Amino acid sequence: MKRFQVPGTPDEAVRELLGFLMEQERIRGAFVLAEVNPGGFAYTLIADRQLLGRAAPTVPLMPVNGGRMVSRLTTLEPVPEPTAVVLRPCELRALFELVKLGQARLDNLLLISCTCGGVVPTRSVLGGIDPVLEKHRDALESGVTWDGLRDTCRVCAEFVPKGADVTVALVGKDTRQTTDMLAETEKGERFLEGLSPSSESEPDTGMLERVGEERAGHRPAVLDRFSPDALGISGLISVFGRCINCHACSNACPVCYCNTCHFESADAEQKPGTVSDELDQRGGLRLPVGTIYYHVGRMLHVSLSCVGCGMCSDACPVNIPVASIFTRLAGSVQGMFDYLAGRDAEEKIPTSTFEAEELKEVGA
Amino acid sequence: MAGDFQPTIVGFLCNWCSYAGADLAGVSRMKMPATMVAIRVMCSSRVDPLFVLKAFLNGADGILVAGCHPGDCHYQTGNYYTRRRFALTQRVFNELGLETNRVRLSWVSASEGGRFQEVVTGFSETIVKAGPSPARTEVFL
Amino acid sequence: MKGKRIPVDGSVNDTLRSVLALLLKATDAVMVPSRIPSKESFAYLLIRDPKLLEAATPLAPVMPVQGARALQSMGRGRGGLPGILCVLRPCEARAAIELFKRNQVDLEDVLLLTIDCPGAFPTRDYLGNPEEFDRRFEEILQGKQDDGLRPDCKSCVGFSLQEVASDVHIGLLRGKPGEVAVVHRSDRGERLLADAGVAGDDGISDWEAGVEKEARVRTGARDSAFQEMKGRAAGVDGFEKLFADCVNCHNCMRVCPICYCRQCFFDSGDSVRLRAEDYFARAQHRGGIRFPGDMMQFHVGRMYHMALSCVACGACEDACPMDVPVSRVFAFVGAGVQEQFGYAPGRSREEAMPMTTFKEDELHAFEDAGGISAPGTTETQSGKSKDQDSEGKVE
Repeated sequence: MKRFQVPGTPDEAVRELLGFLMEQERIRGAFVLAEVNPGGFAYTLIADRQLLGRAAPTVPLMPVNGGRMVSRLTTLEPVPEPTAVVLRPCELRALFELVKLGQARLDNLLLISCTCGGVVPTRSVLGGIDPVLEKHRDALESGVTWDGLRDTCRVCAEFVPKGADVTVALVGKDTRQTTDMLAETEKGERFLEGLSPSSESEPDTGMLERVGEERAGHRPAVLDRFSPDALGISGLISVFGRCINCHACSNACPVCYCNTCHFESADAEQKPGTVSDELDQRGGLRLPVGTIYYHVGRMLHVSLSCVGCGMCSDACPVNIPVASIFTRLAGSVQGMFDYLAGRDAEEKIPTSTFEAEELKEVGA
Repeated sequence: MAGDFQPTIVGFLCNWCSYAGADLAGVSRMKMPATMVAIRVMCSSRVDPLFVLKAFLNGADGILVAGCHPGDCHYQTGNYYTRRRFALTQRVFNELGLETNRVRLSWVSASEGGRFQEVVTGFSETIVKAGPSPARTEVFL
Repeated sequence: MKGKRIPVDGSVNDTLRSVLALLLKATDAVMVPSRIPSKESFAYLLIRDPKLLEAATPLAPVMPVQGARALQSMGRGRGGLPGILCVLRPCEARAAIELFKRNQVDLEDVLLLTIDCPGAFPTRDYLGNPEEFDRRFEEILQGKQDDGLRPDCKSCVGFSLQEVASDVHIGLLRGKPGEVAVVHRSDRGERLLADAGVAGDDGISDWEAGVEKEARVRTGARDSAFQEMKGRAAGVDGFEKLFADCVNCHNCMRVCPICYCRQCFFDSGDSVRLRAEDYFARAQHRGGIRFPGDMMQFHVGRMYHMALSCVACGACEDACPMDVPVSRVFAFVGAGVQEQFGYAPGRSREEAMPMTTFKEDELHAFEDAGGISAPGTTETQSGKSKDQDSEGKVE
């Protein structure tokens, strides 16, 4: 694939790229993380070249899942003009899942992603992100994760994007003077034509493998502590005990797209007339009702599409490690169908398809 | 059955095959433990995994989903989806440490009264061995 | 006022638990905050089995879930619930009454019991060190000041039985040992106390005096808090600065007891699912737009929708992942609009919500070039503005 060497640090290089694309009128809009107020970052759809100076795509922050935002932009129809979107690999995978769920459209989008060194929990940098930037960039350059990242980032094996048109090489690279951008598709090549000197290149698989191994090493501490033995009904009650039923997790989740979630609908409410029966049966009832039902139910509904982005843990106001539980479970259920959420925008989600001969051990 | 424990098994039976099979078992006066509460659905693929979860959390000791044999679904392909969804449900239960032997998927056709009797009897035995569901009296769900 | 004085035996919560045990005998069930099995936090428990009262903590150091929301989760509408006595902080009871007015909570056989509230700790702070905060809360119940309480609690003037239509109230008399005073506030409450054997005719003027004294302190704190908020929230710039960290997650709305809509307008397609062409047109017009967008519209819009019933409970700020001072802003605006209409949320079940009623002859100050009165002005029954100087001033 073609490797474009763009002068500048990654943020500068992406700004350069987006500016170039706008100037050449190859795009009319750029969807990218930007500094919207001093120290505050949000995804922004930028139409004015001047504002590109605020773009901060590689700041290690994910205030919302960018894939979910692109879905919001394209739920009803595709974007009317060529638009570049800059997303991390898990956000891109979330977008692909949403496309399959009928909630997003890819037409007219130039997909720009990166090899990802992770993001920090949003609350950990409430006072400002500058204090962690240097530490993060050092870790990124050496290709290791550091303990300030989200738990799910530390164990993420999917840090090389699939299906992007352009990949910005961040992990394990010295990006202090130049940043490499890889055109992964013919479309990517066409859009980047003329951006900077380019050469044929292959990804550094050795380095990427080492990075993957380091991350796999964190799995026992982060994920495996939620093994079946540790859970069961009492374990689940313990893990979700302090849940305040706010549903921040499902609202932050990119693949929980339902307008009216089942767990917020009349169907899930306790009918007043049944309360007495519940008290007869149990002697007591925790309120609000249905805490475990909501969490396990959500697992049943979305685990096949979970991309392990970690937004749920990030959003939880009482610091429940939702993402660790979901990611571990998702790995297992997706693995059962040899499926990986979002690796492809066309591969059918397992429960929306079937083989006539399969799963003989299920059902007798 | 030994002991005082009378389990409650919730059975989701598809209208065309397994419910008819259950009917046949009844009409033929086949002896079965009186443990099952039957809920008729038009097709086993109507069963959202949430139904199984809700029944379980409400205190059902066992949950059965029954449909037509693969290939014989009244709606052509419904039960293929049922099989996938049930595999998902069981795997989720397994990973969360919830007893997978309390949920079962069985194929019973309209003419298989005897098979229905076997399924209910066999599953009831399993559930009696498993004991009352821990979710039945749990307060902090 | 008269009530039953009961000496504190053990801790305040021990005594409250024994009172509850008696009350449970006279009713079908009680709803009360209780320690969760892992002990690290609290959740509302609806209890019929008296053994479960062991976990009950009627006055908990935190309020992770607003009690009115817990009550509402048992279904909407009027009628159907068994006889339940709900143990609530005064702000939770007020919110329950506001929900009742909206047909969202059943109070037909449900009684509300309020307790003097010293405030609560921010939930995330508490979760960081539960034992430490338990200890500090015990000291607060003995009368000690603690700066770690939530900001909205420190300036709460409705901490006792002021302007809340509860059925029973338990006052706390600090001292060594302290006492609690159980008073009925309604006929139903009176009957319940009589049936439970917790009725009494003791004088409680010392407690009433204590409440008045505390109310003066809190009112002073509230006035300063509102002054501060008035300065910080001034104008679009001020407002944007206050909400600079907001990520538009809508958590505040979801935990708010008054925000009961199954699908909030600000989550609906009309708000968040516009055509891509429309988003693009807006981006082109301003140069760029953020996603999720319309953050200010959400907050001010939510104020329009619920500020008249805002009970300043602080649930919003407690649940905000970004430490935005939501409750302080909403309490400030809420107080302003409530004063405008002479309305107090939760004061009475029969008092109609201002937007659901009208007088033919009122609010003339808002007509024509009358303009907006300065905050602090109220319309009296005759329609005259109290503050003559601010008439005609547009802010």
